[in-house]
Amino acid sequence: MSETTDGQKTTLKIMTGAPVPAPAEPLYATGAPAPVVQPGTEMVTVTIDGKAMQVPKGTNLLEACNHAGADVPFFCYHPGLSSPAVCRQCLVDVKGQPKPVPSCYTPVADKMEVTTASPRVLDIRRQMLEFTLLNHPIDCPICDKAGECTLQKQYFDWDAKYARNDGIKVHKAKHVDIGKHIVLDQERCILCTRCIRVCAEVAQQPELTMAQRGDHEVLTTAPGKRLDNPYSLNTVDVCPVGALTSKDFRFTMRAWELQATPSVCPGCATGCNVEVHTSREQIYRLVPRENPYVNQYWMCDEGRFTYKRIYDDRLGQPMSGGELVEWDRALEDAARLLRAAVDQGPGKIGVVFSAQSTNEDLYALSRLAFDSLGVTRAYVAGLDQGWSDNILVSADKNPNTAGAIAIGGGRLKSLMDLANDVKSGAISTLLVVGERGVLGDGGTSALPISKLQSLIVLGWRKGPLVNAAHVALPLADWAEIDGTFTNRQGTVQRIRAAVPPAGDALPGWEIVTLLAHRLGMPLEFGGRPSTSPPSARAVFLDAREKMAFMKNADWGRTSLPIQLRFANSRG
Amino acid sequence: MDTTLTPSPATAPAGTRRVVLGVQEPEDMDLPTDPIPLNMGPSHPAMHGTVRMVLDVEGEKISNVDIQIGYLHRCFEKESEHATYTQIFPYTDRLNYVSPMLNNIGYAMAVETLLGITDKIPERAQYVRVIVGEMSRMTDHMTCLGAGAMELGAFTVFLYLLKAREWFYEMLEEISGARLTHSYMRIGGLSADLPEGLTTKLLDVIQRTRGVVDECGKLLNRNRIFRDRMDGIGIITKDEAIAWGVTGPVGRSTGLDYDVRKDHPYLVYDQFDFDVPVGSVGDNFDRYMCRVEEIAQSMRIIEQAIAKMPAGPVMVDDPRLRLPTKTETYNSIEAMIAHFKVIMDGIHVPPGEVYSFTEAGNGELGFYIVSDGTGRPWKCRVRPPCFANVAILPKVLPGLFIADIVPTFGMINMIGGECDR
Amino acid sequence: MSQLILDRLVATFTGGELEQIGTQHGNEWARVRRDAWRTVCAFLRDDPACDLKMPTDLTAVDRLSREPRFDVVVHLYSVTKKHRVRLYAGVPEDDCALDSLVPVWPGMEWFEREAYDLYGVRFRGHPDLRRILMYPEFVGHPLRKDYPKEKRQPLIRRSGFPGKPE
Repeated sequence: MSETTDGQKTTLKIMTGAPVPAPAEPLYATGAPAPVVQPGTEMVTVTIDGKAMQVPKGTNLLEACNHAGADVPFFCYHPGLSSPAVCRQCLVDVKGQPKPVPSCYTPVADKMEVTTASPRVLDIRRQMLEFTLLNHPIDCPICDKAGECTLQKQYFDWDAKYARNDGIKVHKAKHVDIGKHIVLDQERCILCTRCIRVCAEVAQQPELTMAQRGDHEVLTTAPGKRLDNPYSLNTVDVCPVGALTSKDFRFTMRAWELQATPSVCPGCATGCNVEVHTSREQIYRLVPRENPYVNQYWMCDEGRFTYKRIYDDRLGQPMSGGELVEWDRALEDAARLLRAAVDQGPGKIGVVFSAQSTNEDLYALSRLAFDSLGVTRAYVAGLDQGWSDNILVSADKNPNTAGAIAIGGGRLKSLMDLANDVKSGAISTLLVVGERGVLGDGGTSALPISKLQSLIVLGWRKGPLVNAAHVALPLADWAEIDGTFTNRQGTVQRIRAAVPPAGDALPGWEIVTLLAHRLGMPLEFGGRPSTSPPSARAVFLDAREKMAFMKNADWGRTSLPIQLRFANSRG
Repeated sequence: MDTTLTPSPATAPAGTRRVVLGVQEPEDMDLPTDPIPLNMGPSHPAMHGTVRMVLDVEGEKISNVDIQIGYLHRCFEKESEHATYTQIFPYTDRLNYVSPMLNNIGYAMAVETLLGITDKIPERAQYVRVIVGEMSRMTDHMTCLGAGAMELGAFTVFLYLLKAREWFYEMLEEISGARLTHSYMRIGGLSADLPEGLTTKLLDVIQRTRGVVDECGKLLNRNRIFRDRMDGIGIITKDEAIAWGVTGPVGRSTGLDYDVRKDHPYLVYDQFDFDVPVGSVGDNFDRYMCRVEEIAQSMRIIEQAIAKMPAGPVMVDDPRLRLPTKTETYNSIEAMIAHFKVIMDGIHVPPGEVYSFTEAGNGELGFYIVSDGTGRPWKCRVRPPCFANVAILPKVLPGLFIADIVPTFGMINMIGGECDR
Repeated sequence: MSQLILDRLVATFTGGELEQIGTQHGNEWARVRRDAWRTVCAFLRDDPACDLKMPTDLTAVDRLSREPRFDVVVHLYSVTKKHRVRLYAGVPEDDCALDSLVPVWPGMEWFEREAYDLYGVRFRGHPDLRRILMYPEFVGHPLRKDYPKEKRQPLIRRSGFPGKPE
């Protein structure tokens, strides 16, 4: 069990140690990532294909082979699950053993000599694939997995011989609805049992099982159960073929058209690393990215659907006085309202920081509010607490609470205080950056908006708060911007823009910088006054200097959405 | 006739330049002139392809020329980085679009070298590649000569040569389905075998073409006007050609004896008996004669190839390279997967780099391919022969008349698609 | 075949100018240190055993994830000895410049202009370094890997054109 900074314990093997930035994303799939070796580990010598190397004792032979560059294929093994050695695809020859051994199940022993590419091993590999393909339906043209299918890849790499049988196959059930999000095709299943282990070991709800035997063995749900656990869509990720498919993604897009952008899920404070899969500037799905320190290989189902909020009734154009206007006019109106408020006294201005915004947005806002305007009343808003479990889901449904609180410097009060201050008249002007959750779920709360003299809202969605605002400026949402989130472990993680902003929306830091410029108090980032907004990176670098919690943060490389074949998550 | 241009400084008034035509004329024929810029724009009836020449002229004489290319740049390299190796074949067609087979061959050979299967290409495929390659070379030269002659006024020659070229285009259309954009080659061989009876028709066409080329030779080779306009114009010396990387008929006309087919034989060129015409002066007429002779030599090669061509497969029998048949694909999962992977993933070429060069219509056509191990190249660079050939023109043209640009540029044979890619 | 060139290079340049040499797929290649670029090339042209008087090609490769980011690649050929060699010079992104080879082979003029146009590598000492394939108003260097393929820089904006909103 490992413990996170908010006291939650989790059953996943999360790596401990100082919070470190996410591992550098490799540009190519170069096999298994290098094992993280703690100093003082006992090392053994193992010879793979004639090359001797040192690996920590107890390493899986399969991992050692792949790390050595010998590409050993596998279906049922997964580094995040127990290994049952059922598929027999990873058989290699070890000197001294009469039969080939399944390398996923064998820990390395000292002075082991392994052959991974002798003619016998290659022939065995080919035979195993032939067996697997014997009853496999010819579904590639209609199967979602085509293009990212492990079976296709292994066949092409290792077999590449045509069929010897007569083509008559065993028929099983197709497109079975087994859960809220999943459809099962029993014919395509290659019986690797990865999904069963995901449900049992990761989600802790063993809902899947194998039934029958021999040619007729099928995957099915346990009697009386459906595949309904909150981590069910991970089975779709780990399934090497198209047996389990996501209802949300089914038949929408082909895998080779997709481009992957590494980012972080905004669903809760865990900050699971994800990849945003897009095609032609439209998001199709989110899949988890491996991070041994945050989420291992998994993410929850709820997080997977956070991409839908990019398309959910977005505020695309600035609004002033209830009508759609151009940016120029909206910024002028907002600046006018703020100037009037400053004249009345900065103590009457309230600024709402959002736990849904990035560190860059919050930092720019803190510079404007605290340093330039001299605001004293600041609040933090976000979505309400929700359900949590001890696996991955955090009760805090905001991705950047830690960042908001740290940047606020302890000056941020709660929404209850905001409601009281507005009611009592202590605030007459309110600037909200990130409207999600300000009015609570459902849109009605104790916040008496009508008592405010001026309300400026930077928002993502149209809603009661945006509609009531005197000036509403459209914010670009999480998948459209570059920035950083701070998760519940205190790790600052980089998010990347996967699609262009909706309509005319801009990132929060950019809007704040434009506003500051209009007010005649331009913000400086990196020591240079900016008449035009700097880049997100410039804001980040400035924030990193001034904010202690960001001192280990890393902006990472500039990377555009890369084609899926290079992203390490599939196949 | 002395065609050199010599000013006579002794009698020139100070501060003016004198341009003297041909034979020394008396002083009252001299015209002092100011230099003016003249634009031979990208769209010009005498320009092959789209190229812009900004000339500084004094009277009729060119003092400086700035050749601006790039009007036909279609981002071949950028597109290749996003296409699979097989998808690049249509792009290569459109490089030197008057000899597309040669581009296809050059590119296919580069990728096959990276795959290491150059000696596994079936022999029949190699012979067919030679045959269609030489046919393309002939169409290239016939277009160049025909258009070049037309611009000097010999319209009949143009039509005769295009008539002959059209016979070859009919053959190529039978073979590949298109007159110009064949995409006939595949990695590992050909997309399909030659049709039945084509070789007989081809031999007949060659016979008739010999007659046509001879006829055109009779019309042009000793023609006073033609010779006056071509002899001694646009001379490139052999050292210049080497220093500027000029190859092909242009290079050989200078006396540089370099032909990739002879010096670094590829495919089955070492089995054939053919000559390489090499010029001596390096003027327009030498370039013209080199091309005429090369047409004759290509016909020799084709006849020998047809005689020697064996029967057999035309594609390497590797499921990772070739597509399975339709019956196989629809009836077995293995073939279905193979079909999917070969098309969607592309052919997995091992990581590495290669510079593979062949003799195209204009010279050494090189493909420098950098592979990252996936089915799409990391970089696919074309070394265009006419890029270097055109680069030398700003050193050749000054001192010539505006009218000399026409035959000189014509004989350089700049193909916009190849120069700009 | 072309091994002779590599042998001559190794024998002549002992001060670390040659970073790596090798052979792949029948092509001999050598990686040259950036500041020794022109020296090595001039030697290859003038040495009677190498006699690489013909410049075949000059281009650049964007390695993207590797330092230095660009490789300027030159192919040379000898018409007398009939051998060829490929040379690499690593050019980092922030100091994207290399000595021009035009003084050595005049034929490199247009090739270097193209490498500058498409990759942004400046060639010091080039007589006329300007764009060759792209139009002068073009911004950026299109063959770099971070230049998106779909990006358009039209000189003529066609808004309101019937049937094709821009």
